[in-house]
Amino acid sequence: MFALTPMRKTLFTLLLLLTGFFSRAQSEKEITISIQPKFQNSALELGKKYFTSTSDTIQFETLRFYLSSFSFYKNEKQVFSETNSYHLIDVSAEKTLTIKIKVPASLQFDAIHFNLGVDSTTNVSGAMGGDLDPINGMYWTWQSGYINLKLEGISSLCNTRNHEFQFHIGGYAAPNNSVQHVILKTQSSDSIIIELPLDIFFIETDLEKINSMMIPGNEAIELAARIAKLFRIK
Amino acid sequence: MRKLIFVFSILLSLVLAAFVTETNFQFVIPKGFPKPVYDFKKNPLTHEKIELGRKLFYDPVLSKDSTISCATCHSPFTAFAHTDHALSHGIGGKFGNRNAPSLSNLAWGSAFMWDGAVNHLDMQALAPMSNPVEMDESIAHVVNKLSHSHTYRKLFFDAFGDSTITGEFVLKSLSQFMLTLVSADSKYDKVKRGETDFTPNELHGYKLFQKNCSSCHTEPLFTNEKFENNGLYVDATLKDSGRMKVTHNPDDYLKFKVPSLRNVQYTYPYMHDGRFKTLTQVINNYMGGIQQSATLSPQLKKGISFSEMEKSDLISFLYTLTDTAFLHSKIHNSPR
Ligand code: HEC
Ligand code: HEC
Repeated sequence: MFALTPMRKTLFTLLLLLTGFFSRAQSEKEITISIQPKFQNSALELGKKYFTSTSDTIQFETLRFYLSSFSFYKNEKQVFSETNSYHLIDVSAEKTLTIKIKVPASLQFDAIHFNLGVDSTTNVSGAMGGDLDPINGMYWTWQSGYINLKLEGISSLCNTRNHEFQFHIGGYAAPNNSVQHVILKTQSSDSIIIELPLDIFFIETDLEKINSMMIPGNEAIELAARIAKLFRIK
Repeated sequence: MRKLIFVFSILLSLVLAAFVTETNFQFVIPKGFPKPVYDFKKNPLTHEKIELGRKLFYDPVLSKDSTISCATCHSPFTAFAHTDHALSHGIGGKFGNRNAPSLSNLAWGSAFMWDGAVNHLDMQALAPMSNPVEMDESIAHVVNKLSHSHTYRKLFFDAFGDSTITGEFVLKSLSQFMLTLVSADSKYDKVKRGETDFTPNELHGYKLFQKNCSSCHTEPLFTNEKFENNGLYVDATLKDSGRMKVTHNPDDYLKFKVPSLRNVQYTYPYMHDGRFKTLTQVINNYMGGIQQSATLSPQLKKGISFSEMEKSDLISFLYTLTDTAFLHSKIHNSPR
């Protein structure tokens, strides 16, 4: 019997990919979506000490979240959806802030739809790779489920150990599904900038009262919604 | 031209598929067992992956100080339970708050842990690995450690065609090994297959079992895979609320996953906190120890009574669930 050596396996796969590439390449183009988290009107910087209008300080340490299920709409009808559409955005890793999506060259659209978070089907489908690999630290271990968003930092407003705030927002099972659907109107373009200005989140969220969230539930959903509504097209 | 390439790639993938099946592991569904819950299509079993999973299962590299492996708490000789340890202990001898269940027939499981906190077999290993009283490690660091091992890089390459080790590969190979832990060759199974007969006492015990126990410990897996309150009193120090911890639903208060009773002779101590050492204690509790409460399963509300004779017959029957071939299986044992 012939066993296929892994080396040969990889070669075959490569060949397959190549043939696939050549037969499809002509009719496609790439749309670049760049995600720009912002604070106080410029790109959000980790580790920087921001002063609020009340002279309190806020310093961000982690901002990571999943954007998934990107699709494009024209006149309220879906015209294209990305398959296997899961993107882990991590402010500390520059290249994750750019999402490239292959679309038909003729694609025209007037809206982009996506989710903040990972859908419930994927949450119950076992181990995944790439951006969904639990190695990325965006998976709860004590109770299965993806963490849709992590926002961590330090603020003089927090009466906690080291003045830390720590929001781990997740939950996939009804009634605690925290995934948020976002719809943004835009014009057809091959280069789209989506901003996420977080200022309003910190106006609506009193860090003195709420500075930690580690479990699914109504409060997590509320926080997720507060962030999701801030996405906007530049 | 493009059509040609298309046909060519189809042909290629067919050839590829034919080759790859050579190393496939055929998962056999034992006679009378239902369809497995695990979706093998998402993680097709191969001999290489199973072997890799087996090595990982027995390797303390998965714990922070390299002292604890999965097998520390799940020993092959006791159907992968933690015999004699009411509350299993891990790193630095620290105690957990639950008893390690035996591992078998996991392909039929739909939720894992006593409260069902884990929704998929693949994700199970993350829980002990990162629990500070169990292995106190993170999957990211484990992958990092494995990536420094020449042996593991080769094994991952053989199994996945890729020597870049990922969390997904670690979890999937552990699942593969655990999926092969099928126990279906006990005396009970042989009787069902018509290969042998129960003794009169065992047969009497079987009838008592079917009448009083099968609604939850349903054949042939000996669990209905549901969460039930079987009337245990609440341990004052552990105060474990069971399924409610996960669902936050008061209707789930004190409900725990119904454990399989396969190999139950060896999986003592019993219950989620290992409170009972013997089967006699368990049965006595079903007779006189049931605590009435709002979530108590209805079938236990009116109480069960057995004579001494019946108790002993019931236990004789439970012993027929011992699968010696499973307990002594070389392929389940440590690869070293
Ligand atoms: C320190 C002891 C310990 C170690 C080490 C350990 N486990 Fe466990 N295991 C347990 C306990 C205790 C439970 C039940 C926990 C609960 O319900 O909260 C459990 C539950 C499980 C279950 C669920 C079984 C079921 O039917 O619900 C599986 C599967 C499992 N462990 C596999 C593993 C694997 C794989 C490893 C190694 C990566 C491992 N365990 C390491 C103690 C341990
Ligand atoms: C209403 C459902 C239900 C019925 C009926 C029932 N059980 Fe159970 N059984 C359970 C649950 C739930 C557990 C786990 C409870 C826990 O640990 O909190 C359990 C645990 C056990 C265990 C411990 C297994 C282990 O590995 O820890 C044994 C043994 C057992 N049952 C035997 C029996 C016998 C014998 C009968 C019939 C006399 C019976 N059960 C009837 C639900 C039931």
